[in-house]
Amino acid sequence: MGKKIIIDPVTRVEGHGKVTVHLDDNNKVIDAKLHVVEFRGFEKFVQGRPYWEAPMLLQRICGICFVSHHLCGAKVLDDMIGVGHSTGNNITVTAEKLRRLGHYAQQLQSHVTAYFYLIVPEMLFGMDAPPEQRNVLGLLETNPEMVKRVVALRKWGQEVIKAVLGKKMHGISSVPGGVNQNLSVEARDRLLNGEEGLISMDEVIDYAQDGLKLFYDFHKKNREEVDTFGEFEALNLSLVDEKGNVDYYHGKMRIVDNDKNIVEEFDYHEYLDFFSEGTEEWSYMKFPFLKSLGREKGSVRVGPLGRLNVTKAYSTPLAQEALERFHHYTKGKSNNKTLHTNWARAIEILHSAELIKELLNDTDLQKDSLILMPPKTDWTGEGIGVVEAPRGTLLHHYKANKEGNITFANLVVATTQNNTVMNRTVRSVADKYLNGNDIITEGMMNAIEVGIRAYDPCLSCATHAVGQMPLVVTIFDAKGNKIDEQIKN
Amino acid sequence: MSLEIKAYCPNLTTFNTPTSLIYGIGNIGRQDDGLGWAFIDWLTKESILSKAETMKHYQLHLEDADLISHKKRVLFIDATKEAAVETFEFVKIEPKLDFTFTSHDISIASILATCNLCFDYIPEVYLLKIKGYEWELKEGLTDKAIENLNISKDYFKNIQK
Repeated sequence: MGKKIIIDPVTRVEGHGKVTVHLDDNNKVIDAKLHVVEFRGFEKFVQGRPYWEAPMLLQRICGICFVSHHLCGAKVLDDMIGVGHSTGNNITVTAEKLRRLGHYAQQLQSHVTAYFYLIVPEMLFGMDAPPEQRNVLGLLETNPEMVKRVVALRKWGQEVIKAVLGKKMHGISSVPGGVNQNLSVEARDRLLNGEEGLISMDEVIDYAQDGLKLFYDFHKKNREEVDTFGEFEALNLSLVDEKGNVDYYHGKMRIVDNDKNIVEEFDYHEYLDFFSEGTEEWSYMKFPFLKSLGREKGSVRVGPLGRLNVTKAYSTPLAQEALERFHHYTKGKSNNKTLHTNWARAIEILHSAELIKELLNDTDLQKDSLILMPPKTDWTGEGIGVVEAPRGTLLHHYKANKEGNITFANLVVATTQNNTVMNRTVRSVADKYLNGNDIITEGMMNAIEVGIRAYDPCLSCATHAVGQMPLVVTIFDAKGNKIDEQIKN
Repeated sequence: MSLEIKAYCPNLTTFNTPTSLIYGIGNIGRQDDGLGWAFIDWLTKESILSKAETMKHYQLHLEDADLISHKKRVLFIDATKEAAVETFEFVKIEPKLDFTFTSHDISIASILATCNLCFDYIPEVYLLKIKGYEWELKEGLTDKAIENLNISKDYFKNIQK
């Protein structure tokens, strides 16, 4: 009698999803899928609203990567009013640097959340540890000093966001054509030097280095398991600058293969010429793929692992040193080890911190040239914005009518880009951990969750969710009879 | 409103000190999820608890443990969909690592436990839960939620007298 195992919800992943694993009569895995069962809403929700409201409304998709949505939307508005890189009439240097500062700060605090809250406990306690231990609260009981540092890092990142965007969450600083405020000297000095209750910039970098060391220690002790967990080849996508290095705010889309050959490279405004989206009846989340390679071979990996596979170098010294070690490990080839995403994420925490330090020491941030206001005749009524969000490449595309009201909105978020590779990870991990077993332990089910969590997916972002869905764990036999059911959480 | 609720209700004026924090949780873009903020707005408009620090946030984060570690007394206000709550409920929170954590969802009890373990300090923490009914992407409270908000406001106004 075959079995169907459903792991639902996937805990510690934003939004809701479920995993089904189908076993045959010999308990051999015959299929595994990540289902996303929330439904879309935001793209319809903004239609009819004034175009300038879109970045404010759409950032509310997520309480974690709201700055990315805000900036992506702002880049769309730049396009719509006839400003931006694509027009040759770019926003001011100060405006772009301020946007970048908020962007890097959000990447730092988002990665810190994912890495320390969700992943480090599993690294320290193991995937087989009791669920009540392998989370940040377990970490809190055994190592409160580490959590104290994490709290300090998060707080510092949020303070940078507040200084740039006006609020710690869902703030508004980017407007069509630029930003609405610069960074005061007082705010800059507070972030650089710290104060009572707020760590300094240099302490942030120290803590980021310590976080990376946690991965090195974990990797040293668990090399075999970490290196073989969910390993498979995939294409890698990132925005890059003219030198072919990652640019989190702007650049061309570059896709590289396992040998790091460039498969495609294009201006993101041409996204629709290169990408298409597949659908499946069992998931609300779409499956983007490169038209030139087709659905089976054309899916891409985005996010920390994808970016580190694409980029050749970093501009900051400590992150560059870490990147060289990362690249050396796979001898110049793309790194396809799912759990090395956490290594890449730890490196990006350090990279973000160093980039923020550079910007905080840049006096352009105190200048007053903040906004370009082109004539109304430059209005295009359509725009596309792309940024490298913490979870990967994020795209917003809006159209508006002559009155300036939104008539069309499309969002392609990082979690959607990763849909196919996440499903492949689920299959790979299921093959390794479930095959041949007739008893499905909590630790084995958690292994699948670990694979998904490496992508730090935001399923709410991916489906632009509205409302809540009930979720359960169910096991079916080959005839569709329910043989077990449980609710996690 | 049950008698147990009244037993837990302190006079709100005990929060009217600079060492107190009044923290509204919610999202005004999700209908009745805006109840926590609406209560804060009322306090501000009526200049009630003007000496306390007030803030409105979408959700709790672990770093709120640091925030409350600097306060003597904290009042959280949040919407609830609990069936057992008819209009509103006021409860004292004890520290507890209850393992509900995701980066979008951490309990007040866990924040308090984090504060205790990280900063070796436990402030006095209360939660005012106001019953809500609708949570879709729409601004504005439902009529029934407004009614519950008003009942809670009247109640606290009365016990201050």
